[in-house]
Amino acid sequence: MKLTTMAWRNLWRRKRRTAITAFSIAFGVLLAVTFTGSGDYVYTNMINTGAQMGLGHISVEPNGYNQTPGLDKRIHQTTALRQQLIMMPGVSDAIVRIMGQAMFASARKSVGGAFIAVDPAQESSVNNLFIRSIIAGSRFTDSNGQGIVIGSRMAQKLGVTIGKKLVYTTTDVNGEIVSEIARVSAIFQTGVTEVDGAMALLPLDRVRGTLRYQADDATLVAITIKDHRATDAMTAGIAAQVALPEREVLSWRQTQPDLAGLIAMDRSSNYVTQTLIGLLIAAGILNTLLMSVLERTREFGVMMAIGMSPHTLFRLVITESLWLAIIGLVFGIVITAPWYHYLNTIGIDFSGAMGDDYSAGGVLIDPVMKVYLYRESVIAILAGVFGLTLVAGIYPAWRAGRIPPVASLKTL
Amino acid sequence: MRFLTHSWITLAIVLCASSATYAGTDARTRDLLRQIDDLWRGDSSHGIMRMEVKTAHYARQMTMEAWSKGTEQTLVRILSPVKEKGTATLKSGTNIYSYLPKTDRTIRLTSGMMGGSWMGSHFTNDDLVRESRREDEYDAAISFEGRRGEQDVIEFTLVPKSDAAVVWGKVVLTIRSTDHIPLSEIYYDEDMALARSFSFSAVKNMANGPRPTVMQVTPADHSEEYTRVIYEQLELNVPINDELFSLTRLKQR
Repeated sequence: MKLTTMAWRNLWRRKRRTAITAFSIAFGVLLAVTFTGSGDYVYTNMINTGAQMGLGHISVEPNGYNQTPGLDKRIHQTTALRQQLIMMPGVSDAIVRIMGQAMFASARKSVGGAFIAVDPAQESSVNNLFIRSIIAGSRFTDSNGQGIVIGSRMAQKLGVTIGKKLVYTTTDVNGEIVSEIARVSAIFQTGVTEVDGAMALLPLDRVRGTLRYQADDATLVAITIKDHRATDAMTAGIAAQVALPEREVLSWRQTQPDLAGLIAMDRSSNYVTQTLIGLLIAAGILNTLLMSVLERTREFGVMMAIGMSPHTLFRLVITESLWLAIIGLVFGIVITAPWYHYLNTIGIDFSGAMGDDYSAGGVLIDPVMKVYLYRESVIAILAGVFGLTLVAGIYPAWRAGRIPPVASLKTL
Repeated sequence: MRFLTHSWITLAIVLCASSATYAGTDARTRDLLRQIDDLWRGDSSHGIMRMEVKTAHYARQMTMEAWSKGTEQTLVRILSPVKEKGTATLKSGTNIYSYLPKTDRTIRLTSGMMGGSWMGSHFTNDDLVRESRREDEYDAAISFEGRRGEQDVIEFTLVPKSDAAVVWGKVVLTIRSTDHIPLSEIYYDEDMALARSFSFSAVKNMANGPRPTVMQVTPADHSEEYTRVIYEQLELNVPINDELFSLTRLKQR
């Protein structure tokens, strides 16, 4: 009789025990998919949303800007740079922006905040979170006009509505304080309190004039890429092509360290949780297999007495755990598939539990928990569960091979 | 035009050197507004004043000494209360520096901090620097002339030009007809609703001429609140060394 067939049959000698063990493996798969999947989904969302809040996944910016931002720092020939970047494989968009601090004042009040000067032709609701979040009015279309798009809380603080004027004050390229008038063309609401209260979009060419920039100057070119997992490779690739001594290429991990830290922390706590669950499941499998070996001491003794080598016995028990792993995984896939489908398409709505501020690390997050698994995560989960089951089988299998034939026949 | 600048420090210590040109404003209005400018004109100044601030949350009083030279250089140092003594603000060109003796730190205010309140008053840091950039921002016209209440007044209405970086809808300035002493300056928002008002009172002879010595600002949305500046001493055209307006001198108490 073949070893695989024998192991399969051995497993079903105790149907209920095998089924329960297989279920615990399947449950492990389910938990791993839920945890890893929600992580993959949330991190992807946060990274992509963060990229749409100004800096992109990768940014080409003046040297030192990241450490000490200021409107005196700028890069030149941005139009040509943008053209070059857009042509690169894997780049979905490259956008020229000026980012800085400003004070916004109305007749009622003034608030400190930040602005992003944007070229209306380059920005859309796809690559700009603020444009996507507009709740009133419509965004400006003239890059040299007097339009401004402000957050809902800022509008409320300043007491302005669509069409009203406000004055923004900032420092120009020489560090001189400059003021300019603008009229509210639209109001956005992202749900992130500090963003809604302090962020504004201004027309790029107008701001260039105010800041005394040359026509092609800007703070940075923000690059969004098709798959954020390629960030590091693409940052290096872009740096190799466009690097100049006066500018640097940085990834979102460097420009948004809060977000990167948050994700890294969340991810490691996720790993710890999953490892603990994995260990618990492995202990269960180990227990099952060890029991099944110990209760068959006499049987193994007989087998060895009629000429089966300890090595073959070891392989037999390992094959049993292999079968158990396969049954568990198949079972796991069967119960996880509909669950995954549900979470992937509908998700669980946590908006009631989260209150009004859907943000983490200054980045908007979706109050509906959804999951999405990367292919490498699927492989990692399957390999992890499979490997864990096999590892759990090693000790019982070793025990089986060590059974002394004569002594074991005397027992029981 | 000094008066419309609402830069109270410069207003208070009277360092008017520039006179705005009102394009599109008739000759008489221009002359009158310039006369008011002249009332406050001086190449340099040195004064001591008291500031009283009352808000819904607190009331405070402080005295301060101020020096100015031209429109670009101003230094204000707090004399009392003791807790704040030595705190200084230096305006040099369009930059404002703030010095806190407690921490021995000088900071340059960034554009984002311009909206913050100056020493807890109803003036913002921006109010301190704006005035030197006020030229050519308004069209002025006389909107009323005659008896109002007890006295003859002239009322000017100043409307900001459409592209001027001015938040107001209009500014109404009232002066006494007899000696052209300013009485009030009222700011309206774009919907012509009252935004804030300045009133001037207690005309006394100070620095060789009659001047209002008390200025009070009241924000329209909190009418029980105010900031009042009372001039106790004022000298005009006194020799002041440029060195006074330096960062090193800012730290000296």
